[in-house]
Amino acid sequence: MRLAGKKALVTGGRQGIGRGIVEAFLAEGASVMTCGRGPKPDDLPDGVTWNMLDVSDTAAVQALAEATKGVDVLVNNAGVQVEKTVVDSSDSDWDLVMGANAKGVFNMCRAFIPVMNKGGSIINIGSISGKVADPSMALYNASKAFVHGLTRSIAVDHGPDIRCNAICPGWIETGMLEAGFDLANDPAHARQDALSRHATRRFGKPEDIAAMAVWLASDEASFATGQLFTVDGGMTAASPINPGLM
Amino acid sequence: MMLKGKTALVTGARGGIGRAIVGRFLREGATVYAADLTPEGSLAAHDEDGSIFVKLDVTSEADAVAAMEQVKAEAGKLDILVNAAGIEIEKTIEDTSLEEWNQSFAVNVTGTFLTSKYALPLMREAAKGGSSASLINFGSYDGFIADPGLAAYCATKGAVHALTRAMACDHGPEGIRVNAICPGYIDTPMLQSFFEGEGSGGGGGNIETLQKAVRDVHPMRTYGTPDDIANLVNWLASDEARYASGQLWVLDGGLSAQVQQMKL
Repeated sequence: MRLAGKKALVTGGRQGIGRGIVEAFLAEGASVMTCGRGPKPDDLPDGVTWNMLDVSDTAAVQALAEATKGVDVLVNNAGVQVEKTVVDSSDSDWDLVMGANAKGVFNMCRAFIPVMNKGGSIINIGSISGKVADPSMALYNASKAFVHGLTRSIAVDHGPDIRCNAICPGWIETGMLEAGFDLANDPAHARQDALSRHATRRFGKPEDIAAMAVWLASDEASFATGQLFTVDGGMTAASPINPGLM
Repeated sequence: MMLKGKTALVTGARGGIGRAIVGRFLREGATVYAADLTPEGSLAAHDEDGSIFVKLDVTSEADAVAAMEQVKAEAGKLDILVNAAGIEIEKTIEDTSLEEWNQSFAVNVTGTFLTSKYALPLMREAAKGGSSASLINFGSYDGFIADPGLAAYCATKGAVHALTRAMACDHGPEGIRVNAICPGYIDTPMLQSFFEGEGSGGGGGNIETLQKAVRDVHPMRTYGTPDDIANLVNWLASDEARYASGQLWVLDGGLSAQVQQMKL
């Protein structure tokens, strides 16, 4: 039980990667709180505390921090995605994406760093899209690059008391990924093509990201800070040109 | 004329990219030593372009010493060195013989080392003139991310990247700037050979279809020309780049800026 005795807060624990992290932390003995914009999900595991919270709401985040003393692990996972180019993006797209992905992470860190325990670990969910561009995801890509920069700043400014790292997931099997394939002309071929670009020949699962989060949350990672850890099945290690596919 | 009065030596100078660099340097007013195994290099013909041909096998220490003695005797200094000689073995490590592995490192890494080692005294001499000397290595975007079936090549280019930074640290105080250019897909004999080879999946297939597919993966929808590379080499060689050192300059039409393009 690598997280026994630790108190963790994971944003966006309703589904996907966030839920995977909640379950992994629970299995490793942590006491886990999570949050989301809606009501408590029916399938939330027993023992996990749910808070209704919009991370872009500064006052609400401050109030939660004041009510929650002594956090050891903060995982900023909550995020949204809008699939548009810069030219097609509206002000409300900006507010939505930057509000959740950039301001939300900032809000949480600002409010919780003062109440975190010494030796605490902040884990931000960045993205491979913050390093290399996914087409038609302009604001999302930029918001994740913000997360990467903030991660380094927090590590520098708030060490040695707090460590701060980011995990950059690649393509993870979530409802969002399946919906993308369903839109393809030939969903089966699209799926096969995408798989062939992964050295692991499979997509990631939320538990793959959760495994990295557990390590970063644990005392085994006590010298790891200020870094971006990519977990993408080898996709971004390979050139975008994969001649075997042509 | 950005290089007037400067003396340059280019290795791999009769190959695709090397030839474009030599031509550009000549147009910019430099005296150019074009070093290669033969005057033809990897292209079919030898065109008289006003450069001074130097027979140089970059893996030979004696050749490197002799080439620099010639430059010293004739020009007395060397303002610009471009290490453009390189080879590519299209294999995974299991298929690569020890001889092929050693040959890859001999040309791409040891060649860069040897030519630089014997050029440095002449480059220090050039830097005494008041403007910095410029040493330009050839890395590759393959030194950052891997193309399949090019293991030894990827490894040699990663080594060149690290060597570039090390040399920039060591020789910056002597007035020598050291940078590497990291090309993506450039239309050269090496690229054509790659398309025709088995590693590309193009063996026996339609080269035109393959080339179009490769172009379409690029945000610029084309691959580069040797002149595109020569444009940046020229800038790095010139005094406009006097504060540029220790960097790896990727020039790939945006190829490596993107996530893999899924066929959705």
